[in-house]
Amino acid sequence: MIKLNPKLSQKFSYTLLCLAAIFAIVPVLLMVFIIIKNGASAISWEFLSSMPKDGMRGGGILPAIIGTLSIVSCAIIVTLPIGVCAAIYLNEYAKDNIFTRIIKLAIVNLAGVPSVVYGLFGLGIFVMFLKLGVSIIAGALTLSIMELPVIITTAKSALNSVPYYFREASLSLGVSRWQTIRYVVLPNAIPGILTGAILSIARISGETAPILFTAVAFYVPHLPHSIFDQVMALPYHLYIISTQIPNMPKDVIYGTALVLLMMVLTMSCVAIFARIYFRKRRKW
Amino acid sequence: MVDKIKIENLSCYYNKKSVLESLNLNIVKNEILSVIGPANSGKTTFLRTLNRMNDFDVTYSRKGNVYLDGDNIFDIDAESLRRRVGMLFAMPIPLPMSIYDNITYAPKRLDLITKKSELDSIVERSLKDASLWDEVKDRLDSSAMNMSGGQQQRLCIARVLAINPEVILFDEPCSGLDPISTAKVEELMIDLKEKYTIVLVTNNVKQASRVSYTTAFFLMGKLIEIDQTGKLFISPKEKETEDYITGRFG
Repeated sequence: MIKLNPKLSQKFSYTLLCLAAIFAIVPVLLMVFIIIKNGASAISWEFLSSMPKDGMRGGGILPAIIGTLSIVSCAIIVTLPIGVCAAIYLNEYAKDNIFTRIIKLAIVNLAGVPSVVYGLFGLGIFVMFLKLGVSIIAGALTLSIMELPVIITTAKSALNSVPYYFREASLSLGVSRWQTIRYVVLPNAIPGILTGAILSIARISGETAPILFTAVAFYVPHLPHSIFDQVMALPYHLYIISTQIPNMPKDVIYGTALVLLMMVLTMSCVAIFARIYFRKRRKW
Repeated sequence: MVDKIKIENLSCYYNKKSVLESLNLNIVKNEILSVIGPANSGKTTFLRTLNRMNDFDVTYSRKGNVYLDGDNIFDIDAESLRRRVGMLFAMPIPLPMSIYDNITYAPKRLDLITKKSELDSIVERSLKDASLWDEVKDRLDSSAMNMSGGQQQRLCIARVLAINPEVILFDEPCSGLDPISTAKVEELMIDLKEKYTIVLVTNNVKQASRVSYTTAFFLMGKLIEIDQTGKLFISPKEKETEDYITGRFG
């Protein structure tokens, strides 16, 4: 084996490690570049604000945008309070016993279930058993179950990052446990909980499988009137137009992908800026 | 000489391992009791039992009784006990909010007072009693996290005074402070004993001799000796006490 001198081997490993790190940005840049290059020409106010025409080949994608927004917002409205309450229980109250361990194990396992299985589960429980039909609410409930473990985990770590001595200081003054949580722990954990929630929204916006059987339709000629309506959604719409429709104009496909990508990236950026803002304001 | 707190046969355990063994001790009202002893002597466990802060530790268990004015502290609920028995920690822990809000935090939560004018006056009174008022009166709305360590510790004292307790426990309150801040806190403790009963756990033997009326020496979870501070420091009865206060170990 060739023995490199220390300086040379240092240079060599530095270059190798740095290249590996750079490699991580390449696909992101490439993807964004390709999608913008092919899709930017399709983007117009009309594309964002009108109904599809000519069997999806023309017009806009408004119903898909509205559909995705409504499913995702319903999902977060359901999952955030439950997730945060569960996290508070687990982090602040739960003692380390069999019961708690089973809950924690369930959360870990819930996070590992493939998304298409959630879709089937949602079909069985919400669509058929609870007779919600294929609807915004059924899709939102399916997504919220899928996102619950993530919300619980991020909220729990946000609560956990509030130093224990703040709780002790509050408790030592005769203030109750709940008031300590409400007035000392939560206000300081909310930034972390919020950024976690925003990232969750970004993540579920792009999910296709869980809403496939529970919420979406190939084509709905009108905008949804209530949460019990079937809707179109961006990820599913993208799948349909890129595989199921012949002679689909390429720029419409890429334009749709661009809209979805921008929605997700905007939310991730909001989360990043929120985190920076709150970190600067943090006082301990 | 009235006894404020009576401790009968108190034993404490962590994970069933004994850290404090059958302690019997009386704490005199409106005086300062110092508890000295090396690390692992059970001083802090003793202190945290008096306001039941150890209840949150699942590995902790205890036997025996503690009476506060005749009430068994394990029979009254922990929150009302802590309102009567306030505590200062080794490191100053201001809450991450303004100076004003730190003081009014507990009175508001405990529904002691709600009117703005009363809150204002309790802030002023507590800060004056903690000799901090002159230093901070112009910046009550600024964050408590920006104060110096000594100021933070006096703010914590003011915060305890705001709930008007009967007993105040000091857990090595000067261990993180410089000598000048330490002197201020010590002066404050001497002033405060007029109104409150004070228990001071300290690693600083000289501090105990400066401020306290009675001193107790703990070693390996046992009370070795308790006496009036003057007597204990001049003529200790036990050899271990003498060795410790003269600096031969610990």
